Amino acid sequence: MRSNHVKEQLSAYVDGELTAAEQSAVSGHLQVCEECRDHLASLRRTVTLVQTLEPVRAPDGFQAQVRAGVERLAARPSQAGRWPALRWSWRTAGAAAAVLLIGVFTINVMRGERALGPVSPSLTEGVGREKPGADSGLRREASQRTGPVDILTLRRVIRTAELYLEVDQFDAATRRLLIIAESAGGFIANSSYGETGGVPQGSFTLRVPTSRFATVVDAVEQVGTVLRRGISGQDVTEEFVDLQARVRNLERHEQRLLSFMDRAGKVSELLAIELELARVRGEIEQLTGRVRFLSHQVDLATIEVGVRQAKKTSGALWDFGGTLDRMRAAFVATIQQLLAVVEKAAVFASAMAPVLLVGAAAWLLISRIRRAPA
Amino acid sequence: MIAQSRGGDAGAYDQLVGAYQDRIYALTHRITGNREDAWDAAQDAFLKAFRSLSSFKGTAAFSTWLHRIALNAALDIVRRRPQQPPASLDDVITVAAAGDPGGDVERRDVQRRIQGAIAALPVDQRAAVVLKDIQGFRYEEIAAVLQVPVGTVRSRLSRARETLRAMLADLAPMGEGRSQ
Repeated sequence: MRSNHVKEQLSAYVDGELTAAEQSAVSGHLQVCEECRDHLASLRRTVTLVQTLEPVRAPDGFQAQVRAGVERLAARPSQAGRWPALRWSWRTAGAAAAVLLIGVFTINVMRGERALGPVSPSLTEGVGREKPGADSGLRREASQRTGPVDILTLRRVIRTAELYLEVDQFDAATRRLLIIAESAGGFIANSSYGETGGVPQGSFTLRVPTSRFATVVDAVEQVGTVLRRGISGQDVTEEFVDLQARVRNLERHEQRLLSFMDRAGKVSELLAIELELARVRGEIEQLTGRVRFLSHQVDLATIEVGVRQAKKTSGALWDFGGTLDRMRAAFVATIQQLLAVVEKAAVFASAMAPVLLVGAAAWLLISRIRRAPA
Repeated sequence: MIAQSRGGDAGAYDQLVGAYQDRIYALTHRITGNREDAWDAAQDAFLKAFRSLSSFKGTAAFSTWLHRIALNAALDIVRRRPQQPPASLDDVITVAAAGDPGGDVERRDVQRRIQGAIAALPVDQRAAVVLKDIQGFRYEEIAAVLQVPVGTVRSRLSRARETLRAMLADLAPMGEGRSQ
């Protein structure tokens, strides 16, 4: 028991770190206890062994690298002073990434909301209305005209656009229009071509599926410089419903007339019914024709494109006016781009403001906790 | 020099680094057990010390203060990578090359065994042994570096040396004979 007690003190005894009283007590015990003497000797050897570890020196280049780091720090005195220095550990990097993600997310949400608003009314409306369900529904309606009509989900809109373009190469533009129409699953319904004063120009009527209307208009606008553009949508839903109701009524009327005919006894009666039947049938045909026409118009949007080749400045060596125009256009475009950047920065800053505020608060809190041990 | 460095004088601090780099590097090397981590920890410590020089109150010795920062930096790295093998082959060569080139294979082996035994200690005890037997601090100074009472230093050292004694039992007599 006593022996164990002394063994615990031997380590400090070796180092001469015992109080005078403890020191003499251990010495006294060692005189009488051989076991503790052996233990002490072995402990001494162990300590010596550890102390014989060859000294390690800082590698070459270490001091230089520290100096470089210190100079970098010293170049930013504000960080060495009051503000706790930013430490680029993985944790800091992660926090920065998170803040960035949140910021981007916020901006995207804001963007999404704005896109739903009235940015370019005619175009977005067109896109919004042409839901795939509506498209297939239209075709179904056209084939079985007596089916029930759901006005809310089946808007019938005739889309038309009028574009007037100026192009560099008339023939190339014509080919591109054809490609655009056909790749959208449509066709060129009409085209005319002429030349006035040596400038070729023409007009084309493109018919494309209504679902592709917006993309086609966009593609056509890429062909040349848009001089004039008009887009319209005519809602014919009401007329559609009305027509169908009238057709149904007339068909019922026709059935009744036919049943009268069976019971008619006199020739004069028969003739009157026959006359009325012919009128009703005619009207039905007329109305269903109108329905067919309308659904065709709704299914295929119409895009009228006027194309004019740009006047070539033949003869003159240098088109000074054109150069001036281009310079002015470039100048204005640059200013517009700069303003757009400034605007985006302002929007970004305001979007980030709440996030930064929360981040700064958290950072201050953390740095205060971290500073405690120093 | 310390006062000058405190004012943000990078040149004065460079001299301080020159004076302390071997001791600090030795500490981080023995704690982490390999060259790369030792370098990282020591560099981290010197930069951290420079940044927080203004908060160094001068009540403690500068050396103690610097050792505390370096020890914490080294322990940070050790804790971050606990699955490191105690002594890598690379380390054997480092230790041997750092000593005199005439050292024979047996001696290198002894060095490796000792470093391995130290690396096998729990970090608390390892820090105490390194500060005492390699850095040569007194108990009071160790207590200041570790920020624990002197009694704790004493018991940690005692336990550490018992473990080392058991691990290096076969080497101990031989090692003493060779070092003559």
